[in-house]
Amino acid sequence: MTALTVPAAHHDNENPRPVPWRRMTGVIWRQHRYALLGVVALLGALSLYLTVAGTSMHHAYAAALACRPASSYGCQNQVIDFNTAYARTAQTVGVLLMAVPMLIGAFVGAPVLARELETGTFRYAWTQGFGRQRWTLAKLVPLAVMVTAAAGLFGLLFSWYYQPLFADGMSIPLDPKLFGVRGVAFAAWTLAAFATGALSGMLIRRVVPAIAVTLAVCVALSFAAGLYLRPHYMTPLTGRNLASAPASAWVLNGWWTRGGTTVSQAAMDQIETPLFRQAVTATVPKNVSSDDVKFYKGSASAQVQDYLVRHGYTHWISYQPASRFWPFQWIEGGWLLALSVLLIAATVWLVRRRAA
Amino acid sequence: MTALTAPASSDADAGLRPVPWRRMAGIIWRQHRYALIGEVTVLGAVAVVLWLIGTSLHHDYAAALACQPAGSQACAETALTFGGSFAFLANGGILQPLPVLIGAFVGGPLLAREMETGTFRYAWTQGFGRRRWALAKLVTLAVAVTVPATAFSLELAWYYQPYFATRNVAFDLTEMTPFYPALFDLHGTTFAAWTLAAFAIGGLAGMLIRRVVPAIAATMAVYAGLAFAVGAFLREHYLAPLVTTSSLNLPSSSWILSQWWTKGGAVVSPTAMNNVIDKTFTSLNPPEGSPGQKFPAYQSILRYLTEHGYTYWTRYQPGSRYWPFQWIESGWLLALSLICVVAAVWLVRRRAA
Repeated sequence: MTALTVPAAHHDNENPRPVPWRRMTGVIWRQHRYALLGVVALLGALSLYLTVAGTSMHHAYAAALACRPASSYGCQNQVIDFNTAYARTAQTVGVLLMAVPMLIGAFVGAPVLARELETGTFRYAWTQGFGRQRWTLAKLVPLAVMVTAAAGLFGLLFSWYYQPLFADGMSIPLDPKLFGVRGVAFAAWTLAAFATGALSGMLIRRVVPAIAVTLAVCVALSFAAGLYLRPHYMTPLTGRNLASAPASAWVLNGWWTRGGTTVSQAAMDQIETPLFRQAVTATVPKNVSSDDVKFYKGSASAQVQDYLVRHGYTHWISYQPASRFWPFQWIEGGWLLALSVLLIAATVWLVRRRAA
Repeated sequence: MTALTAPASSDADAGLRPVPWRRMAGIIWRQHRYALIGEVTVLGAVAVVLWLIGTSLHHDYAAALACQPAGSQACAETALTFGGSFAFLANGGILQPLPVLIGAFVGGPLLAREMETGTFRYAWTQGFGRRRWALAKLVTLAVAVTVPATAFSLELAWYYQPYFATRNVAFDLTEMTPFYPALFDLHGTTFAAWTLAAFAIGGLAGMLIRRVVPAIAATMAVYAGLAFAVGAFLREHYLAPLVTTSSLNLPSSSWILSQWWTKGGAVVSPTAMNNVIDKTFTSLNPPEGSPGQKFPAYQSILRYLTEHGYTYWTRYQPGSRYWPFQWIESGWLLALSLICVVAAVWLVRRRAA
């Protein structure tokens, strides 16, 4: 019997096509659905709270604004009452919401690579028809886009929520406690936290330590940015006296000069303190208790300032005007975006480099 | 050949002793050393930062105390400015996440990791019974978590002491009383109690959810809800608040819950009251001027109104109730922790291998 030979079917092996990118969407959903649903649940619950609290705050503010006559004592009192009732809670909420980008980044970003490495399933995942570099990109980029978009929407909701307290001047636009929760910065911080999580997952290769390290790094970064970087995004303006800056400006620093040279803080303290005491003794009526003295602080300070100015001292402040809010937001968003791209690129490079 | 039989050596089996408890110490250390080291590192780092800032804070406070004559109006004012670039620490919000982070990362993986990886089948079938194993782990780690938290809360009390001693107006709106929600649970015994509660919730969540990362997330969510509910609603009702009509003479250490006006026994709405205050203001015509002078105007208006048929009521908790509130909160948190630990151990026992 003669063996029959059949020629090889060429078209099966020529130009093998890689698996198309869209096949990864199903994989991403199945592997990360709980993390993504958790993000939706968290942002959803917080959005519910902001909507409810924000609606009552907007109503109260509208009622305070509708008060007539507007310059009367009673109507001004209504605005003060509004602030007393709502401002402290709203400020605390704003500060606590800074934790949300870090939590999202840590819990969504860190397990992406860390779980595969911890359980060893990377040996399976990286040897499918979809190359390991493309696999990493296909996972990180869509997840990053999803969490950033969700965070962006939430940031808009927070801006709406807090709007009355900016409108009545309770908080300045560049308020450092709230800057990271507004505008573009909230979405940018979420993206940066996600990228940090991905890289730390790749470096640490264990899920829970990667989450912890991501949280720690994000906290440190946000403090560093708020305290040291943000005041210097653009060169601060310098002005004489507190009065030269509008009330909405973010005052960074104040110092005194005399005859062109700066007077040190310690020397100023020695001069100002006895002056201040004299002013308090002169201005405060005798029957005011020591608890209530602080209400006279403003007029006593003004007297001390007048005295110093008349005696050759000049007060300078450096500040950032409120009009720079959106430029600062774009600058912060920009460098956070660049950092995220860098971190994701580093992650992909590490994936490529790792011996299977 | 005859088989030799030897009698069973009775002393080997009779009175079979379980493995002594102290053998668990080494196992707990080996399995949880990174979590514990992480906890001590985080608390230690924050403690160092607080110590650095607190030293200059106390320096300023000592300088303010050295002012003579003490108790005069002029000296009362110089004691009031603790702020500067570290005012963000003043309202305590930044330090709130510490108990939940410690509790979630130490307590969450405690049982959940064994369940997730399946190593419980090995751990529970050693000479040390599963109930004793769970109890030994939970109690030892609870103590290991609470002791550094207690030490840390002592440093926090030292840090905030100048603020409370001077009833500092450290941020915009109100004086700082120890009852302030973001500060109350950082002080006294409640910081350690909240850390313990977070740990216990983490242990129970781990046993219920049986996956590490969801257990950590669930612990954080439950703790956040609980802390918010307590701070916003529950805490003011630990003891029935006092109601008084001498609202103008309340000591400033009181925690004011609500205030309202009545006339002839009926409550006056805030809008109506604003109109009354406005009319009184114009009729009394007190001196205009800087904001500092608006306050005596307001005081004299309030005095005028109370003399003319209006009563200003205040519902408040006196400052003297601070420690009873601390004990109450620590007490129920401790009870909650016990319930969570007992529930976790019961679940361990109940689970089919």
